[in-house]
Parts: sequence; structure tokens; C-alpha cells
Amino acid sequence: MEILLQLIYSGIALGMIYAVIAFGYQLTFATSDTLNFGQGEALMLGALVGLTLVDTLGVNYWLALPVVGLFGLLQGALVERIGVRPAIKIKSEFGWIMSTIALGIIFKNVAENIWGRDDLKFPSPLPEAPMKVLGANVLPMELLVIAGALVMMLAVEFFNRKTIYGKAVVATFNDRDAAKLMGINTGLVITFSYALSSLTASFAGVLIAPLTLTGATMGAVLGLKAFAVAIIGGLTSGMGIIVGGIILGVAETTTGFYISTGYKDVPGLVLLLLVLAVKPAGLFGKSAIKKV
Amino acid sequence: MNRKYVFASVIAFVLLALVPVFTHNPYYIHLVETIMIYAILLFGLDIVVGYTGQVSLGHAGLFGIGAYTAGVLFLKLGAPFWVIVPASIAVTAVFGALLALPALRVSGPYLAMVTMAFGTIIQILINEMTFLTEGPMGLKIPKPTVAGYKFDEQSFYWVVTALLALSLLVVHRVLRSQLGRAFEALRGSPVASDCMGVSVYKYKVYAFVISAGFAGLAGCLYAYSEQYISPNTYNNELTVMFLLAVIMGGRKTRMGSMLGATIIVLLPKLLDDLEMFRMVASVLAVLMLIGAIIGIARKMTTVQTMAVPVVGTAALAMFAFWLESITDWRLSIFGLMILFVVYYLQDGIVGFVRSLLSHRSRGAQMSHVAHAVDSSADPIIRAAKNGGDDVLVAKEVLMQFGGLKAINQVDLRIKRGTIHGLIGPNGSGKSTMMNVLTGIYVPTAGSIEFEGRSVVGRTSSDIALSGIARTFQNVQLFGEMTALQNVQVGLHHTFHSNFVDVALNTSRYAQEDKSATARAEGLLAFVGLADLAEEQARNLPYGKQRLLEIARALALDPQLLLLDEPAAGLTAPDIKELVSIIRKIRDHGITVILIEHHMDMVMSICDTVSVLDFGQKIAEGQPADVQANEKVIEAYLGGTAT
Repeated sequence: MEILLQLIYSGIALGMIYAVIAFGYQLTFATSDTLNFGQGEALMLGALVGLTLVDTLGVNYWLALPVVGLFGLLQGALVERIGVRPAIKIKSEFGWIMSTIALGIIFKNVAENIWGRDDLKFPSPLPEAPMKVLGANVLPMELLVIAGALVMMLAVEFFNRKTIYGKAVVATFNDRDAAKLMGINTGLVITFSYALSSLTASFAGVLIAPLTLTGATMGAVLGLKAFAVAIIGGLTSGMGIIVGGIILGVAETTTGFYISTGYKDVPGLVLLLLVLAVKPAGLFGKSAIKKV
Repeated sequence: MNRKYVFASVIAFVLLALVPVFTHNPYYIHLVETIMIYAILLFGLDIVVGYTGQVSLGHAGLFGIGAYTAGVLFLKLGAPFWVIVPASIAVTAVFGALLALPALRVSGPYLAMVTMAFGTIIQILINEMTFLTEGPMGLKIPKPTVAGYKFDEQSFYWVVTALLALSLLVVHRVLRSQLGRAFEALRGSPVASDCMGVSVYKYKVYAFVISAGFAGLAGCLYAYSEQYISPNTYNNELTVMFLLAVIMGGRKTRMGSMLGATIIVLLPKLLDDLEMFRMVASVLAVLMLIGAIIGIARKMTTVQTMAVPVVGTAALAMFAFWLESITDWRLSIFGLMILFVVYYLQDGIVGFVRSLLSHRSRGAQMSHVAHAVDSSADPIIRAAKNGGDDVLVAKEVLMQFGGLKAINQVDLRIKRGTIHGLIGPNGSGKSTMMNVLTGIYVPTAGSIEFEGRSVVGRTSSDIALSGIARTFQNVQLFGEMTALQNVQVGLHHTFHSNFVDVALNTSRYAQEDKSATARAEGLLAFVGLADLAEEQARNLPYGKQRLLEIARALALDPQLLLLDEPAAGLTAPDIKELVSIIRKIRDHGITVILIEHHMDMVMSICDTVSVLDFGQKIAEGQPADVQANEKVIEAYLGGTAT
């Protein structure tokens, strides 16, 4: 029982990371109907930049966070400008899928050449001794991940709902053409949503890094599973991705423990296929009415 | 297939088969062999990517399944070559169906991610199921032995060549058949495909299954060719590589697939050699610069548009000289290539060359269309009179979107052999009614009976096949297909031949194809488009597109034809012609429901007119009575009820 509880705790922490990345997918999908297939690489770059700041330059972990965030913003804007905008402009059907994948490959390769191919240990900013919660062990870092992820998502939601810039984002989400006619620079809004999306991803990277190892290859599978979360929860539902993330995270840690760590990625992906077969709009999403 | 094309293909294959005679270097033989194996896979991938327009990132996984089916069957059962090849194809095709069933409920980015997830699962399973696959250790499989003869590198090369030729033939036949047209149609307009009786879902799955079959064949041959397989080969990079090959070579062409295969096999070899890469990058940069200068001088392009590629290639060349070892940066260069292809080579190399050539020889090609239409045969099949007086009876139909009642308790009774007008102001629910009748929407309440059978809850394609054809308010043609092919899609239901008939070109298929072509030409002639049969639908003027939609709908041999504003955007003489066409359709016993805003047209040809306003039926009767009805006048002109 204690072990199960412990698995659930770390599953929730992992699930929150998925939720944050999935949240990033939602942001760009809302404004532009596109998403960054290199989202996992954005996370990986965030973690590695954080590692360099903390480990090599000796910056305090908490001070490194905003710097990594800034880096994420720039990286996301870059992806949008090189990868997405030109592809949308030439009306290529799946150009942006290919170009964001390509950028992801390039980022991964560059990271391999800068930070090497080996996985690196990220020093934990909090004590590594576990605490007892309801009789099971929890790492303080796991609690930080959960809190950090929630704060991150709430901050972006607050921004979208309460500020005038956020309202421009929401307007673009509702009707891109109408927003454009109202004088909103929708191009800028889309760039901004990508920047924000990468910001959340790189932030997630720095959060998860002390719990796992950091390396150039850490992003790909995380990005894919976060997509599964986005689909399971629904691409339009904030609640959905948190629930979806937790389901997936717990499924994964328990599978890893009770069956085999080799299979730990399988339940999430199978769940993805199942949800799509049964309810394509996701557990919490609304299905759209097609117009003829 | 024209004769020149066949001749060129035969020559090419003879040359290909002669490679081992000219060079005995096993390295080169193996290289060409790999290219051919990839080409087989790309033929299949192109069906999904090029024709149905779906992105698949799962083909490396399917390739792996093919290879491992071969490996496992050999290792565990010692199965012979002639069992293993069909088994690999069949097993992979089954997996293709498994992938397609959930994945194809979604499209675009969803599908891409889902197929990627599928590929990842396959890789994990191959890695983990050690009792079957030996896991990360990999499998060894020797070259096959058939009837006591053991194939060596050279003779196996010929086996691959033969299978490539066979694959090419099969793919070619499938894609020009009704199956290929169905694949292309569901890319052009999914809604219209469904309404032509071509079930989008079914044919997407079909396309995936065929595509997976080719991937399985390729995987099996790959296992024999490499003689060693391990899970890490079938990763996501390979899948992206395949996709790049299809796009870079050129979609919807077999030549493009073969070019693409050549590029992705040779590319890593090229990138292994730094000197070579430096040279290629420099030459590329110089060519790009020269091209840009010429382009700008001739005012064909601007400095701004050329700046990015020129600077990009120059930077690549400098990068090449700065590098000390290239192997570490291989993936980055590969990524840059993808970007380049996506932005500057969208139609692939074949498409690019074609557009260069057609630039010069346009006009010469346009004049060859003069089909001899057999005027004695009537292209429209007379609708059979089965059942009672009413073709369609709708009772208390309610269609609700959230709180909005788009159709509110409407009754409709359509008499056989009449032209029934459906009019009403904009937003009164006319098109919604069409969508309900054709199964695009499922009504919230009420019953609809067509020929005594309920249509509620049935799929659009099923309803279409039972005899309701339609046109669309905003034209839904298959843009990249010719006018003739558009009509042939409508004739899809006349084909009973299956994949095997098509692949073997049996007489049944040949017969059906011949009669369908003749009927399609007849139908085009009926609406006056015979001269434009070979023109792509998207290039037709708007009025002609509407006529083409009618021809396509007639191809379904409908009992009931729904025309949604057929006269919109037509000139006065065109409308006259349209009226006579509609009358002729009615004279064939086909019942017509006509939505139209041209009142004089409605009043002149309709036998009965129903008027909708705000989702409710406010009047019905003879045209003259309806015209005089106060409620109708009020709905159209406004005013207060007294």
C-alpha cells in the first residue's frame, strides 16, 4: 500500500509535467490551429540551459528560472518565425508539421554537440531527503513540481483573462479573421502564443530536471506523451489536461513498477489510441459541428 | 498507360537489372538494392501522403513489423521464403488496419501524432518482447533458399528488382482505378466523397492497409537484404526520412518515390565524406547565387525573396568548411534539408521539373481532347418506379444546435417524379434540411423515410448509395482531379471489382472501367462539358463547376436529386440551359428537390413549392398559390402581421 501511494505521488508529479507541456500545445493550437512537434525539444533545451546556469555558472536555481523562461520565450518565437509562419503563408498542408519536426531534430542535434550525448545530473535545489505524507515517501522536489506547474498554468490563465493582451489572444482563438479586422495583430499573437508555449515547456524542463536526468534525448518521448495527455483531456479543456496528465503519470509509474520499466511508455500511448477510437474530442473536449 | 511510358519503364528496369553485371562490387549492389526496397515502401507511403493527403509518421514502425515478421518466422518456424513474403505483407497490412481504425477518426496534426505514437509503441514492443524478437540483440536471417537454390547477393538483387517492378505495376493499376480515384477524392472533399457513396472512413482504412502491405513487403526484403535486424533501425528519424523522401521526390508520382528513395539512401553516405560535402555545399551556394542574380536581373523574383536561400546556402557552405567532423552534425543538416524542401520544393523534384517543362509547352497539350461520345446510349439511367407515390416523407423533423432550432417540426412530402422547390430567406434552414436528408446531420427528433426506409442515423455514403444524390451550395468538387474523374468518382458504385481484380487487370475490371468511362463522358456531354473533360475541376469557371456537380450527382443513378442553389453565380443564358437540364433530369423519372433564390426559375419549373422561414414551414402548394400567400410575402419583404 505504501509503495502504491508512493507511486501515485510520483505519478502525479510526472503527470503535472505532462499537463504543463500539453498546456503549451493548447496555447498554440488555440491561436493558430498548429502545434509545435518540437515541444519536447523546447523542454530539453530549457533543462540544459538551466543546467549550464546552475552547474557551470553557479547561478542560484531560483534566479535561473526567469532566465530560462526568457530563453524559452525567444526559442518559441524563433520556431514560429522560421517553422510555422512561412509554412502557413504558402498554404502548405502539412508543411508546418514537417518544419517543426525538422527544427526539433536540429535543436536536438545542436544540444548533443554542445552538452554531449550523455545524460547529466541536475543538482536539486531542495533537500533530497524524502518527507512522509500519509505514510508514504515524497520528495520535496515532487511537491515543487506540482506547485510550480499549477502556478505556471494559473499565471497564463490569469494573463489571458484579465489583461488586454490576453484578451487579444482569446479573441484570436475565437475567430482569427474577426480579430484581425478588429485591429489585432494576429500574426504577433500567434508568435506570442508560441513564445508562451515554449516558455511553459522550458519551465517544465527545469522543474523536472532535478528528478530525472538531463540530456539531449529527454524531450522526444515527453513531448509525445504530453500530446497523448492533450488528446485524452481534450485540446480545449484546461481541467482535462490536468486530469489526463495525472491518469497518464500514475499509469506510467505503476506500470513501470509492477510490470517492467521497458513498458512504462506503453499505457499512455495505448490510452491515446483508445480515446481516439472512442471519443476523438477527448474526455473533456467538446466535439465541433462540421459546417458544409 | 501510354506506350512511351511503358517503353521507358522497361528500359529503366533492364538497366537496373544489369547493375550486378557491370559492377561486382557488393557494396554498390547492396546500395542499389536498398534504394529499391525503400522505393517499394515509398510507393505505399505515397498512397497515404500523396493521394489521401494524410501524414503518416508510423511507416517506420510498419517497415519494422514487416522485417520482424520475416525474422521471427524464419527464426522460430524456419519458414521458407515464399511463405515469409506473403506473410509479412499480410501481417503488416493487419497492423496497418489496426493503426488506421482509431487514427483515421482524426486528421492533420492529430493523425501525425497518433501515427508517431504507434511507431513508438512498435519500437518499444520489438525491444521488450525478447521471447519473440530477441530484443535489442537483434535477429540474424540468412539469404533465402528456394527449392534447394540459395540466393547470393547478386541473385537476390534480381529478386528485389522483380518485386519492385511488380509493385510498380500494382501501384500504378490501383491508383488509376476506382480505388485510386476514391483515395484522391477523399482528399479533395471528404463531405462530397461521402455524399457520392465513397465512404471516407472505409477508403482511408483501405489506403492505410494497402500502404502497410507495401511497407511489409519492403521490410521483409530489407531483413533478407541486411541479414541482420535490430529494433533501433525503425525509429522516428527513419519515419521522418521516409516522409521527406516522398515530398522531396514529388508526391503522386512513382518517379518521385524512386528519386526520393535514392536521395535518402545516398544522403547519409554523402554526409559521411566531409570533402564531398564541402564541395556540394559550395557548388550549391554558387548555383543559388547565380540563380538569384539571373532571377533578379530578369525581374522574375525580388531581392527579398531570394535573400533567405542565398544567405542560407552560403552559411551552409561556410559551416561546411568550419566543421571538422561531419558525422556529429548529420541530423542538423538533415533538418535543414527538410526546411528547404518544405519551403522551396513543395511539389518535389518531379513537380519542379514538370512545372519548368510545362511552362514552355503549354498550349500544345490542351488540344487533344475530342472524345467520341456514343450519343445513342443515354448516360442517365431512368429511375425505377418502385414503391408508392411519395419518394420521401419527412415528419416533424427537428434539428437543434444548442438552443437554436435550425429546423423546427417540418413535414415534407416529396411526390415521385416532380420538381419540388424549397425556398425561404437566408438562414431559414434550407441547406440544413439538405444536410439532414443526406445524413451529414442527424436530426434531433422526427422521422425521415426514403423509399419506405428510414434514413435517420445512417451514414452519408449509405444514404447516397440508396439513391439520394446532391450538389452543394458552396461547390465541393475534387479540385485536383479532372472533370471526367470527378464524374467517375460518382460512378464508383458501379464497380464491383476489388483490389485483386484491379491488380491483375481482370476482364471484369476492364469491362467495368470501360463502361464507366463511357458513361462519365456521356454525363459530361449531357451537361455540356464534353470539351472540358480533361481539365482539372478547380480550373473550371464557377458556372461550369456547378454543372459538373450535377453531372457527378447524376452518376450515382439517384432516385432523388437535391440541388442546392444550382443557379447561384450563373449568367442568364446559363440559367436557361440549367432549366432545360433539370427538366430533362425530371423526364428520366428522377425526383428533384430544388433550393433556389431565382424566383422566376423556381416558379417556372417547380411542381410544388415549400417555403421555410426561421426553420418552420410557412407555406406549401402550387407555385402560383405560394407566390400569393401573405405569410410568404411577409417573410421575404418584411412587414407586420395584421
